[in-house]
Amino acid sequence: MTRDQSIEFVVGRERRLQEVIGASDVEPLLKAAVRAGAAEAVIRNGEGDVLWSERNPAADASITGSKTLYLEGEPVGTLQIKGPGGKEEYLKGIGGLLGETLNAVITSSLKRMLTTEIHTAVVNQSFEELLEINRQLAASEERYRELAESLEIKVQERTEELKRAMAQLLEQEKLASVGRLAAGIAHEINNPLGFVSSNLGTLGKYVARFVATLTTVRQMAESGAMGGEPARRLADTWREQKLDMVLADIDDLMRQSIAGADRVAKIVADLKAFSHVDETGIGEVDLNVEIDKTLNVLASQMPSRSEVVRRYGTLPKFACNPAQLCQVFLNIIQNAIQATGEGLRLEIATSAEEWAIRIEFSDNGPGIPDDIRGHVFEPFFTTRDVGMGTGMGLAVVYDAVRSYGGSVEAVCPPSGGTVFTIKLPLAGR
Amino acid sequence: MIEYDEQDKRMVLKLVYYGPALSGKTTNLLRLHDLLAKEGRGDLMVLDTKDDRTIFFDLLPFFLTAPSGLKIKLKVYTVPGQVKHDATRKAVLQRADGVAFIADSQLSEVANNASSFENLERNLSFVGIGIDVIPLVIQYNKRDLAGIVPEDDVMRVWGKTGLPVLMASALQGWGVVETFRKLVELTYDHIDRKYGLNSNHGLDRETFLVKLTQASEGEE
Repeated sequence: MTRDQSIEFVVGRERRLQEVIGASDVEPLLKAAVRAGAAEAVIRNGEGDVLWSERNPAADASITGSKTLYLEGEPVGTLQIKGPGGKEEYLKGIGGLLGETLNAVITSSLKRMLTTEIHTAVVNQSFEELLEINRQLAASEERYRELAESLEIKVQERTEELKRAMAQLLEQEKLASVGRLAAGIAHEINNPLGFVSSNLGTLGKYVARFVATLTTVRQMAESGAMGGEPARRLADTWREQKLDMVLADIDDLMRQSIAGADRVAKIVADLKAFSHVDETGIGEVDLNVEIDKTLNVLASQMPSRSEVVRRYGTLPKFACNPAQLCQVFLNIIQNAIQATGEGLRLEIATSAEEWAIRIEFSDNGPGIPDDIRGHVFEPFFTTRDVGMGTGMGLAVVYDAVRSYGGSVEAVCPPSGGTVFTIKLPLAGR
Repeated sequence: MIEYDEQDKRMVLKLVYYGPALSGKTTNLLRLHDLLAKEGRGDLMVLDTKDDRTIFFDLLPFFLTAPSGLKIKLKVYTVPGQVKHDATRKAVLQRADGVAFIADSQLSEVANNASSFENLERNLSFVGIGIDVIPLVIQYNKRDLAGIVPEDDVMRVWGKTGLPVLMASALQGWGVVETFRKLVELTYDHIDRKYGLNSNHGLDRETFLVKLTQASEGEE
């Protein structure tokens, strides 16, 4: 039952006599009075209208008596009795009895009505309160369910974030340990490389001595100082061992070997410089020098017919972890190498602005499509085949640059290629 | 107000005796019934009780007629005090014109008085009546007992509310009529402001008071 349909009881509402008692209550009593000898018994309301009446047409109705009926103590009607003359006392008795009875019936009827009404009101109200409580419970359950659901989504989001951060950390750690491993290997190579270089030098001198001796022996044979037979055997052996070719080649061999050993030494030195394995933590460095170190390490990876144009401005010393920034440069240059391939033209421009150092890497590659340019700095975003790229290179760049309060952006100018611009703010300016 | 019929010249008012269980609300009405003149009032109607505890309400009706012919009926109700009958209290409180809050003076009942008064505030607002608008008097009943809250303490607590506070012993019959008279006074002022009892119906405050509170057998 809705509120609109429910019957509203106001405790204390006024009632009329005929609302409290009905014909079934009254008529038997009136009939009994007539049977007992009254000629007529009539009940009227406060306005004098007849509500119920009973009469015996045969009886004498010459005398009349009346009695007031009360509702809640208020007079609301009258009982009128008529009867034969001379029987006043008897009629008074019947009238009195009937009046008292009617008043008792009215009172008990009213009590029953009040009790029933308030009971109904209370039940209705309790029912509506229960409905309301039920509605509130349902609403609150709904709220909690939503809360629980959104909580689950939030937990999932956070878990995803944590997973990514964890993977990023792992990847950075891996990169760092690869760097350390490379630096370690470089260091280990240095020792054998030292004696290889040194021995090559000595070996060169020894070979020169062998060559001088052989040359002398041959000149002796050719001058006939050795006699016919030994000279002929020397000539045969000389020819069989192809010593003309050997003597012509040996200088080149020695020179190339020494040059090769020198190159290995240089690579090791570059690798050590790049990884800053001998340094710890923060230092003040010239970023131009750091970019050069990075280019040296990458020299072997440069595709054929590639050209690197350095347009360095004079830079103030920059306080940083150099190994970290070398990693940044390495990742951007590697990105250019992989994207462009043969015929790479990489232009690196550095300049000092009022508040920051600006470094631009421009390549002549295919550029980055518009729809993915917004994602290139996101972790694990890669356009390369599975296993070829980690998707971490530019994410590492982004995080490292951000850690210095700087910014990095990728722009593809209409003229083609991609320009990565790094800005590193100068502290204290 | 239960009913106001201008054509029929009828006005039915409702006063409610509120308060915690066993604070003497029914006893107040019984004493009023005994102390006030039979003329102008009906009989006390006690609806069903259980172990002498009110479970619905008690009703004592009063009648008077203003010089204009306006018939005024004043119905005084009690509510059941027990906590579990809250729905009944709300039903009885509907359209009330005045409330007498009957507190139990015993020290052990301080908390019950407070929670019953809070219940009154809540239920008045439930039936759409502002507690700062409706005529309201406070009666500290059972002053005849030992172990009661001192009058000074009562006044200190209630004084700042500006509500009239009366001491009574309904059992001994004192303070009961005074409480009723105070409530009738406030109710007259409240109704007079809205319906012009004096200006429209020629019923002044004194007459209203005397008619409703005259003592039986010429006492007072």
